Amino acid sequence: MSELNLTDNKFIQFHQKIGFKFDGVKYYGYKGDTIASALLRNNVKLIGRSFKYHRPRGFYTCGIEEPNALVQIISEYSEPNTRATIKKIYEGMEIESQNRWPSLKTDIGSINNIFSPVFPAGFYYKTFMGPHKNFWKKIYEPIIRKAAGLGKPPKEFKAVSTHLYHNVDITIVGGGLNGLIAAKSLIDTNFSVLLIDFDDQLGGILNNSNKVQSVNNQTPMDWISETVNEIENSKNIKILKNTLVTNYNYINHLIAVEDKFVGSRPLKDKVNSTLHKIRTDQVILSNGHIERFLSFQNNDLPGIMLCSSFEKYMCRYGVMPSKETVIFSNNSNSESLVFSLIKKGFKPKAYIDSRSGENIEPGLFDLIRKNDIPLYTNSQIKGAFGSKKLQKILVEDSSGGVNEIKTDFLCLSGGINPDVHLFTQSKGLLDWDEKDLTYKPAQAFQPTITLGSASGQFDFNSITKEINEKLDIFGIKPLQINLKLNTSHKFKIEKLWEVLPQKQTIWSKSFIDLQNDVTTKDIRQAISEGFDRIEHLKRYTTNSMGTDQGKISSINALGIVSDLLDKKVNEVGTTIYRPPYAPLSFAAIAGRNSYEYYDPERKTPIHNWHVSNGAVFEDVGQWKRPWYFPINKDETMNDAVQRESKNVRENAGVLDGSTLGKIEIKGKDALAFLNLIYTNSFSKMKPGSSRYALMLGEDGMVKDDGIICKISDEHFIATTTTGGAATVLGCMEEYAQTEWPNLNVYMNSITEQYATFNISGPKTRNIIEKVFPEVDFSNEAFPFMTFQFHEYEDTPIRILRASFTGEMGYEIYVPSNQALKIWEKIINFGKEFGLMPYGTETMHLLRAEKGYIIVGQDTDGSITPLDLGLDWMIGKSKKDFLGKRSLIRSDTVRKDRKQLVGIIPTNKNDKLEEGQHIILDKEIKTPMPMLGHITSCYQSPTLGHNFALAVIKNGQSLIGTKAFASTPELKTIEVEIVEPIFYDKENTKLAS
Amino acid sequence: MLVIDCPYCGPRDQSEFSNGGEAHVKRPDGSAEIGDREWGEYVFIRANPKGIFYERWVHSHGCRKWFNCVRDTSTDEILKIYKIDEERPKLDSFKNNVKTPSGEPNLGSGNFTVKK
Repeated sequence: MSELNLTDNKFIQFHQKIGFKFDGVKYYGYKGDTIASALLRNNVKLIGRSFKYHRPRGFYTCGIEEPNALVQIISEYSEPNTRATIKKIYEGMEIESQNRWPSLKTDIGSINNIFSPVFPAGFYYKTFMGPHKNFWKKIYEPIIRKAAGLGKPPKEFKAVSTHLYHNVDITIVGGGLNGLIAAKSLIDTNFSVLLIDFDDQLGGILNNSNKVQSVNNQTPMDWISETVNEIENSKNIKILKNTLVTNYNYINHLIAVEDKFVGSRPLKDKVNSTLHKIRTDQVILSNGHIERFLSFQNNDLPGIMLCSSFEKYMCRYGVMPSKETVIFSNNSNSESLVFSLIKKGFKPKAYIDSRSGENIEPGLFDLIRKNDIPLYTNSQIKGAFGSKKLQKILVEDSSGGVNEIKTDFLCLSGGINPDVHLFTQSKGLLDWDEKDLTYKPAQAFQPTITLGSASGQFDFNSITKEINEKLDIFGIKPLQINLKLNTSHKFKIEKLWEVLPQKQTIWSKSFIDLQNDVTTKDIRQAISEGFDRIEHLKRYTTNSMGTDQGKISSINALGIVSDLLDKKVNEVGTTIYRPPYAPLSFAAIAGRNSYEYYDPERKTPIHNWHVSNGAVFEDVGQWKRPWYFPINKDETMNDAVQRESKNVRENAGVLDGSTLGKIEIKGKDALAFLNLIYTNSFSKMKPGSSRYALMLGEDGMVKDDGIICKISDEHFIATTTTGGAATVLGCMEEYAQTEWPNLNVYMNSITEQYATFNISGPKTRNIIEKVFPEVDFSNEAFPFMTFQFHEYEDTPIRILRASFTGEMGYEIYVPSNQALKIWEKIINFGKEFGLMPYGTETMHLLRAEKGYIIVGQDTDGSITPLDLGLDWMIGKSKKDFLGKRSLIRSDTVRKDRKQLVGIIPTNKNDKLEEGQHIILDKEIKTPMPMLGHITSCYQSPTLGHNFALAVIKNGQSLIGTKAFASTPELKTIEVEIVEPIFYDKENTKLAS
Repeated sequence: MLVIDCPYCGPRDQSEFSNGGEAHVKRPDGSAEIGDREWGEYVFIRANPKGIFYERWVHSHGCRKWFNCVRDTSTDEILKIYKIDEERPKLDSFKNNVKTPSGEPNLGSGNFTVKK
């Protein structure tokens, strides 16, 4: 075990041993360890295989920027692509490495590494093009999909997450040194403040390095605990720990995800993660910086790590990834690692710096000299070598000589970048800093303040000044923070992006993106092929397109490209940083809108009756409607529908039509308004009568239909289709408010206030007279298309004589809470007359026999009333209604429009199907001109054969002729084109 | 997500609203005297500018009232919200950052990351 001291601290509880399994082997770590720190404690340095070449990889970093160490958490529904550098262990955790087979040590896919010269950038685009178009779908894609990718999808996963909304004045993202000072200065002010940090410990760089010796003459740890305590006790600041801000949207809208089970196994029925949706007046970004790496041959070997990450493992977790490490740097950031190593008594094996001696920080230079550490200035690492782990490196010194150093560990620093991801998401602009060689926030688009290294301010001595200046807008008291440092306060760097290898072969690889296995050679090739725009280059090479989004490497790629193109980095630009900052699970995004809560289910007031009477349900929009009522479990749907249909024609049936939309329209101008909304004219209608009505779009196409009941000129009730209820109400409201605000009219949905029962069949009158004995249902007293209000046991009821089946029928409107009583009454009184409930399928069959259309089935938004043969429904004398002018557009008066017709097979045993094309020729040849298609098709128990409705070109003039319906097997069925009505053409039944 | 200041209810998240397309499109009456072109333009043609745009919104999950809004489509910035019966604000009362039909504001489009 590589450990420092084992006394408990706030990060690690060394007295609490934790057992976990990695690839089946049991290891021990301590409470507070991440998977990475625990495995490094156990000297495990190989963690996974790379994406494309299956190369062995180790831990490159100690945080969220990790490109390599992605693992599958078997004990959490096999959650894939979890970063081992941030996921904390718990007792019994099971972890597996990814992208290897059969095992991590012997991986067959690593043969890709040997064949790598044939996998250059754009390999897939160039290679998998032939010989036949099906090759991609059938052969290439399945093989590539199996071999590529990161983890495997999770299993039996049922996430529980919740959403939480915040509206605050100020949100501070990042609780490091700058975030804490900013929060401290806002304590007990009138601002409501959220302080968010991804870590479970606030303090950032104070926890993770030895850069700072003291803050206001306190040790950093004392200062943090005192400050956090003050903040926690303040009235106005709330701290969210373990919470990662992933999105910075428009109008200061932040999305942050909080892990509720850090360091413990997620409980099945508890909320695992909370998605915070934060709207804030001001955002303070103090989310720090990210160290970047350097490219040289085999810079991906396990045993290579970033300098600041090594130091974090020491300071934060008390782990020494190696006792003898070599350091390679081009900037000041390595200084504090050297300081920490020497302080702990583990001298670096060698220190290599691309800078000359006089450019190296004097403190660092002295430290190295005093401790006799071999120093290579003006030097570069030409390559790293070893089998599955680092064994030696080659160093080119200032004289040009190449030295071999045997080592199992190497720490790298290629510079630091402000973490500008969130800033650019907010649409802020960056600017390249030639001195610090990085992009820095330059111009904010939203009310955003950047602080500390996140703003590109790398000088520790300027922290207080910057915070006091930038927070001055809040009118708060300036703070004085005195920092004493162990290292130099300023940041210096010399340009270095890539070191070319000693010997270039076709197998030598210098990586620029570790997660997606992109090499610097791929970048060169892309540019030579003309992909020299940075957005093109990114997509062609897949550079920085992994789940880490190239956090430690994308700036290096820009540096290399700018050198190759001989352009300034600002001219090369950066690719756009897109949310999320780091992967977040769909489960967190979905929140409670998942599974049974995904979409509300609407049920009619007598739904439970349907359930207990064995109904099979159909989803119509959000509604659950009885589809059919099988009499026993052996009855098929077809049998049930034939039986139900026959029964309605011979006796009577009752349908639960409660889902139909109902809109009440009132107002002095209600009549004028409805005359504008519907095609029909309602002016001459008598109160107490009703009318079948059509609603068009302004393009003249049928949008909805329904029955309008006129109570008076100032009071109407309209029904709509089940699916169209919300749209029709919305449309009425829109026109009432925007086009005809002068009309005095109000409308309201009463869909759920009333249940609707449709009784129809020849014996309807016998039944309904028993249910409502006081009502006179004779033809004279209650003619077709009239309605009446009645009281039934103190329940107000509206009865409408109408029919959607072709039989005589009534619709009964009952307040929802009384619905079951009436329904059961109808069923009971109906028994002796053979009444049966029927479902939507029978309703469809019966209405089709009668030639009644269903909007949305027989029409599709391209059918006018004239196409349906419904000319009689158009109020021609009306000056205006929705879509009126469109009925004489050149397109709507075309002669060859598709029109509604009936279809029956010539051979009565032939079966037709919805969707079949109607054609004129018996033989199918391509291209085959089609006339139209079948929109509705059923087997009629009354006719004894199949019949269909269809929309076909010039249909009305083709009635009486023969045509063919095509089948998927390229056969044809001879059919007759007939009038679209198959039952009771004279309408004798309706008025009987 | 936008915050929309409903003139009847106050500022609310965009998810409570539905967009109703271009505002101030006058509906000709449906009589036959209206020419094919005029009617066709009303039914089918809507402006889709980059920059200042007059559009309609409805507070569909709220008061269900329609109102008008001026938005800079290149930055998504809402410049003015006014009731249906209020007068249309003049175009030159807003600063338009987009110089040509295909132009791009220097800041706020989200299409650039680097300062020019």
